[in-house]
Order: sequence, then structure tokens, then C-alpha cells
Amino acid sequence: MAKGAAGGSDLARQEQRLAYVLLAPTFLILLAIAIYPLLSVFYYSFTNETFASATPTESVGLSNYQNLLSMTIRTVPPKIDETTGQPQVDPDTGETKYQSAVAVLPREPLRFKQLTQFNLFGTQYVLGASDPDFIRSIWDTILFAVVTVFLELVLGMVVALIVNANFKGRGLMRALILVPWAVPTAVSSQMWAYMLQPNRTGFFNTFLWRIGLGGGEIPFLSDPAWQLPSMILIDVWKTTPFMALLLLAGIQLIPGDIYEAANVDGAGAMRKFFQLTLPLLRGTIAVALVFRTLDALRVFDLFQIVLGQARYSMASFTYYQLIQNRAMGYSSASSVIIFIVLSAFAIIYMRSLGVQSNEQ
Amino acid sequence: MSSKTKQRISRILLYILIVVMAIWMLFPFYWAVNSSFKSEQQLAMMPTTFVPRAPATQDISFYLRNYEAVLTNQAFLRAIVNSAIVAVSVTALALAVGAFAGFALGKLRYRGKTGTLYVILAMTMFPQIAVLSGLYAVINRFQISAISSLVLTYLLFSLPFTAWVLTSFFRELPTEIFQSAQVDGASPFQTFYMIMLPLTAPALVTTGLLAFIGAWNEYLFALTFTSVQPDARTLPVVIANFPSQFSQQIPFGEIMAAGVLSSLPLILLVFIFQRRIVAGLTAGAVKG
Repeated sequence: MAKGAAGGSDLARQEQRLAYVLLAPTFLILLAIAIYPLLSVFYYSFTNETFASATPTESVGLSNYQNLLSMTIRTVPPKIDETTGQPQVDPDTGETKYQSAVAVLPREPLRFKQLTQFNLFGTQYVLGASDPDFIRSIWDTILFAVVTVFLELVLGMVVALIVNANFKGRGLMRALILVPWAVPTAVSSQMWAYMLQPNRTGFFNTFLWRIGLGGGEIPFLSDPAWQLPSMILIDVWKTTPFMALLLLAGIQLIPGDIYEAANVDGAGAMRKFFQLTLPLLRGTIAVALVFRTLDALRVFDLFQIVLGQARYSMASFTYYQLIQNRAMGYSSASSVIIFIVLSAFAIIYMRSLGVQSNEQ
Repeated sequence: MSSKTKQRISRILLYILIVVMAIWMLFPFYWAVNSSFKSEQQLAMMPTTFVPRAPATQDISFYLRNYEAVLTNQAFLRAIVNSAIVAVSVTALALAVGAFAGFALGKLRYRGKTGTLYVILAMTMFPQIAVLSGLYAVINRFQISAISSLVLTYLLFSLPFTAWVLTSFFRELPTEIFQSAQVDGASPFQTFYMIMLPLTAPALVTTGLLAFIGAWNEYLFALTFTSVQPDARTLPVVIANFPSQFSQQIPFGEIMAAGVLSSLPLILLVFIFQRRIVAGLTAGAVKG
């Protein structure tokens, strides 16, 4: 239709010209603040550009990427008892003692540092990376994204079903669930950081201590084992409402007579949910999932404010490389990697959403 | 069990769920309010208290100095002004430019429409972190002031969002209005300006609200681009890196007071415009 009309009358040509004129400002602005900087980030990622540094900027090829992503696995030999020639065993735990991982990890051309150690079929291995912080940030961010999005989906569905039910004060409730979403992340991060204090001045430690769990001194934000669960808890609180709203919109699109037919058949609430609501919501859920995954993968505020440099997300790693280390080139390379990861997800999103222009 | 008792039980269960949900949603904010009324001594009490209490007597006692300190804190007051300037400017710019694009995308016929729709949708998901260093370099090279650079760079997320949401609103307007105006001899631009734009006023309010909230809450760009210009810091940056006036420790009481004060306008907006906000949020994400 568009093509036929465009070639036809004056009016259609006028309309087409107007469309281009109206779109021009948006596209010019996006060219200036998105496309141009993106291209320059690609360019910088192949250089050693550093802010306020005396070394001249030069091209370093792929070495930034190499530095960020290089990983290796080495076996760690056990410590040998010099008198017996047998591996040393810790007399208390009965576990074999191993040599220091530093000794087995390569130092040239890149210096590898230990990421983690694991034992497989009786052999001790060390996983080394030239930038363990970055590799860990990728792993942590992906784990964070997968777990938060899953929990948000489940809880968001519960919330959506509740505020979809008929009860007095439903309007108020729908406004209320927007509160976590509306509170600035900087504020909610500080609120939660205070609630998660490592002693009984914090709400959580007091609460758990009252009900007999923990000694009231759980270091939620400094113990590596608790850091990610804490981040996940905060993000689930903050973002479940958004998920619930998306799902609610989907639920409201389901025609009511489908349920009436099910009522006649005498289907229970559970069966109605799993056999009617859930399948009919498949499209909405797919969109919400990928949309939220993209958002979670670029998490910055929460990690930077609550954990600072104790533990990075991909975005906060990039930020600290840029601002703290002034490493423009290195930070750009990590930006590019994030961009590629997110683009892959975005393409899935576009496919599942299916853009239609109803004029064509 | 009769169906009536069954119904009553499920009703009770529903209300229990509602109460649990409300507590879960509101409790952290309640805790912030509670803590904002505590002195440093009260904040240090172990176990902590659910209302501010005097350490010695356990009587309820509210401490107001946090609010006093925050409201006389120059950095905080300047941040309110900065945030307001940035958020209002970004919203106005995004609406002005985005409404044009939204009208073209939603109502006009032209070659290459699907492509442009794809670009706008892709841009709504564009990760800010990917262009952080590039934008930082541009801002440094041209010595753009922090406030202007925030207004400019926030368009990166607010402009595609505004254009996309307005597209879905424009599309819903009946095409007949548009066509009959054309038949009456109005040029497409006149039709847009005099007929379509007034009709989308409610949509503009919705979209504007969301753009405003997005800009008010933004942290990454604000933190990065004001790093050498503390005068230009916005509320999230000040709250996340709160300058202490009195104490050496992290001044949680003041931070909570500042946090409560800077969230209140948003919570107010949410309660007044609940329906519009929900409509805008879901239009942006669900409708293709």
C-alpha cells in the first residue's frame, strides 16, 4: 500500500516528504549521541588510550580483548612429602595439600591469575584468567540476570493475578505496587544497604536473630557468598512491580468468555491458570522475559552503590576502568563485549516481539 | 465443604496475600522513614527498633535533625535544582522531538517505515554503558558543561522511548480523522499540529511523566559526567555518595532523610497518575 500510494498522488508524495522531515531530528540526535559514540568506542577499543597520561596513544590491535577474555585451565600438582615421596595430606581434614596455583599459571605473554580451583576425578585444577575481575563480572552478571528474572517472573505473576482479582481497594493496590519501581535506584540501594548492615543495627540481622537464625552478625554485603543473593533480593523487590504490570496488561487482554466456558466445565482455579491463562500469556511472558533480561544484564546502579569495587557487574567494571583507571581503551573494549552480549539478546527480543507497521 | 465456605476461604486467602504483598512492597520504604527519624545513637541500637526509641528509656522519640541537616545541606539543595533542570529539559526536548517521530511512525505512509520502526525499537534497548567512554571523550573534547551534557545524553534513552510509546498512541487514533482533514484541504503538517496533537495530549502527559521519572532517577551518566564538576551533581549521585556534615561514619540517618525527600515527589506522581503510568509502561513494552 505504501509503495503504491507513494508513487501516486501529490498528496501521498507530500505525506512521504513530511514523514522524513518529522523523523529527521530524532535520527540526527540518535546519530550524534548513540551511533557516533558507539563507533568511537569500537575505535578506542583497539588502542591503549588513557586519560591524562603521557604515553602516546597507539593501536594495540586485539590486545585489550585478549587481556579481558583470556582464560586457561592448568592442573595443580600436589605437594610431595620429601621423605616418603607421597602427596602430603592435611592431618586434620584428610585432604591432599596442593601447590600454589601461582606457580602453574603462565606469566608470559599474559600474566594469569587464579579465578577458581576445582577438583575433578581426583585431580586439582585451577582456572586462571588474565583479568579475573572481568571474567567474574561476566559470570556474576549473567547469574544475577537469570536468577532475578526468573524470580521476578514467578512473583510478578502472583502479584499480577492478585491485582487482577476483584476486591475493595484494588486501585490503591495497583498504585502501591508502583512504589518500588518509582523510588530512584540510588535511594533504594542505600535503603537496602542499611537494612542489610552486618550487625543487629540492620533490619535483616535483627529479624533473623529474633526468629533464631544466625547470630545477628551475618555480613550480607562483605561476605562473597552473601553478596549476590543480597543483590538479587534488592533487584527482585525493585523490579517485580514492572514485571507484574506487563503481565497484568497481558492478562487483561484475555477475553473473559474463555473463563466463563471453563466455569461451565467446572474447572478449578489452578487448572484454569495452567491450562488457560499461562498458555495465552506465552507471548507476553516471552517479551517480558527478554526485556527484563536485557535490563538485568546491564545492571549498574545497584552494584556500584552497594558493592563498589568489592564485586563488579559488567557495567560497573567498565565504569571503574574508565573513571578510576582512566583506561579509555580497555574500558571501551569491555563496553564492546557488553554491547555484543546485549545485542544477541536484543535480536531474540525483536524476533519474539515481531514489529509490525500496520500501514504496510 | 459447601461452595460458599470454599468461596469465603479463598476470599480470606486473597486478603492475606494482599496484606503480605503490601508489606513486602512498602516495608523498605517504611524502614527508610523510620531510620530517617533516628539520631546516630538510635541508629546504633542493637537490636534495632521498629520505631525510633530513646536508647536509655526505650520511649518513642523522634529525632528531626536529619531533615534539618539535609535541608540545609548545600550539595543536596543544589542537587534538587540540578535534577529538576535536567529532568524537565530532557522531558520537554524528548516530547517535542519524539512527538514528530511518533506521528510519522504511527500515522504517515512512507518508504522504509519498517526499517525506521526497527531502529527506534532497537534504540529503546540501547545499553548506555556501551557508549559511556565514547560520550565521555566527546564531552571532554568539546568542554561541554556537565548539566548540558546530561540533558543531551539523556536523550539517548528518553527520545527512543518517547517516540516508541507515542507511535503506539498515534496509531490508535482513527485514520478517518486524519483523512477527512486532508480532504478538507489541510496539509499533513496542519493535520498533525491542529488535530492530532491535541488528541494525543493525554498520551503526551503519560509519556512525559515516564521520561521525567527516567531522567530524575538516572545514575550512570550523572555519576560519570559530573565526576569533575561536583556542582552539577544530581540527586541520585548525591544520595549515593552522601557528603557527611557532622559525622565521620556513613551518615545513614541523613541519607535516609534525603532519600525519603527525593522519593516523595515520585511517589506522589505515582499515586496521582497511576493509570496513565501503567498505560504508558505497558504501551512501550507490550504493544508491537
